[in-house]
Amino acid sequence: MAAMELWQVGGLFVGIAVAGAVATRVGLSVIPLYVVVGMLVGPNVLGRYAPEFAIPSGDIVTILAEIGIVLLLFFLGLEFSLDRLMEARRRITGAGLLDLAINFPVGVGLGLLFGWNLLESVLLGGVVYISSSAVITKSLIDLGWIANRESEPMLGTLVFEDLFIAVYLAVVAALVGGSGGLETAAVDVAVAVAFLGVLLAGVWFGGPLFERVFDADSSELFVLRVLAMAVFVAGVALAIGVSEAVAAFFVGMGFSSTDHVERIERLLTPVRDIFAAVFFFYIGLGTDPLLVATTVGLLAVAVVATTPTKVVSGFYSGRIYGLDDRRSLRVGLGMVTRGEFSLIIATVAATGSGPVMTQVIPAFAVGYVLVMSILGTVLMQYSGVLEGVLARRSEAAG
Amino acid sequence: MTVYESDLPGVGKKFEVELNDESQLVIVIHNTGKRELFLRESPDADSDKLFELSDRLARQVGTIMEGAYFQPIRTETIDTVLSDETLIEWVKLTADSPLTGKTLAESQVRQRIGVSVVAVQRGDETISNPGAEFAVEEGDTLVVIGGKDACREFQEYATAGSPDDE
Repeated sequence: MAAMELWQVGGLFVGIAVAGAVATRVGLSVIPLYVVVGMLVGPNVLGRYAPEFAIPSGDIVTILAEIGIVLLLFFLGLEFSLDRLMEARRRITGAGLLDLAINFPVGVGLGLLFGWNLLESVLLGGVVYISSSAVITKSLIDLGWIANRESEPMLGTLVFEDLFIAVYLAVVAALVGGSGGLETAAVDVAVAVAFLGVLLAGVWFGGPLFERVFDADSSELFVLRVLAMAVFVAGVALAIGVSEAVAAFFVGMGFSSTDHVERIERLLTPVRDIFAAVFFFYIGLGTDPLLVATTVGLLAVAVVATTPTKVVSGFYSGRIYGLDDRRSLRVGLGMVTRGEFSLIIATVAATGSGPVMTQVIPAFAVGYVLVMSILGTVLMQYSGVLEGVLARRSEAAG
Repeated sequence: MTVYESDLPGVGKKFEVELNDESQLVIVIHNTGKRELFLRESPDADSDKLFELSDRLARQVGTIMEGAYFQPIRTETIDTVLSDETLIEWVKLTADSPLTGKTLAESQVRQRIGVSVVAVQRGDETISNPGAEFAVEEGDTLVVIGGKDACREFQEYATAGSPDDE
């Protein structure tokens, strides 16, 4: 970890801005572009040829990226309303469980197939299971699908995935951070669960308090209070060995029942976007393309195995929501995109021990997210072609 | 007409308004304040995006649609608005009207109801500023000025007993 100068941090933002501009021009999602540009100007590519111009992955970037993770999960919690889940629980749970039951075991199976241990395989399961809320939601809006029926199972499944991933992160972060023994692992998980229990109680009973404390007139004071709360609680969680992402998720949930939601979304979305962009860029900085290349075999197998599974699970989720074949297929194609949470799981894996967790999974996750986010976006854009194929096939069959 | 409301987690809210001809108007309100309007020709069709509006513009268009800026009303009597609360009203007297055959002083409309008679139209002529001793007849149209409520009260009073022809 190197100390960074201001021009290097400035260079990082220039890189992010350029990546965003290119993504918009090409019509791709910004996330893979942030990662790629981070990789290109980082120590592993530019650093090999012109180290004096490369952007180092210094402590400051790590911290900014962590704030990015915190805000991503905070917003997830903010959007998460138990009432909403209860309201549509039958369909959301049905679609969500189907999605989990089909996709998660495939990832775990792949890991075991490659001779990894169980924890490593479970991490891989998480990486390939979770679809990208950010990219899929944005694509839905861009394509105008948001006004169609297919948006409901997609967004519903994403809600279920987000809840699952909060619990999942809490458990794997404790296991990965553990020193290996079964007893210590149990203690770590217990500490994590206890801390989250305290947070959950805070969420449960703290609504009115949140309502009052954060009722600031000026936007400046409001943003500062919310940011302070989210980052500080997440930081304390990390200090005692609990996933900061999960803690942030719970803080977000604490706000979800208050009247501040709309204001937070209005005022803090740009803040989240800045730090989240730094997070993706940071992932790129820490990625060695040569290392990604060594995982290409695993990558190819994973892409081939986990694209159809999402299409199938999405298709039947659409069925659960009572959609016709054409729209159900759209749901399946739309769910293929993987993104930010796969990368967050990879950062958790990187804190572990052994070459698989520290090197292979992070490198694989970057390659995987790049392929799947581009593939998923393209599949959504050209879904019309595949819908036509499906229609012809069903005509022939019927 | 049915309106369906559904949540779009992470995006905002969706409203589907059934129109008369099987089609639906779909309004997506984003958390960012942006509104998108789509038209769905039939229940199975894809939604075609019509246009999008910013939060501020959407509110303005919304008030116009609501009729807050311009209220199209078919009035039975012509009235002219001086301000929000003051009207000039034309009221035609019927034979049964309690005013018919009385002088303005006798009927005391200004004291009791709070409207002033500024003119009386009788046939083709207009008597402006009639005095207190002016007696009104059947068929006269009284031009009165006063508050909105007072004018309404006067109209009811002056046409009392007349059959509602509309």
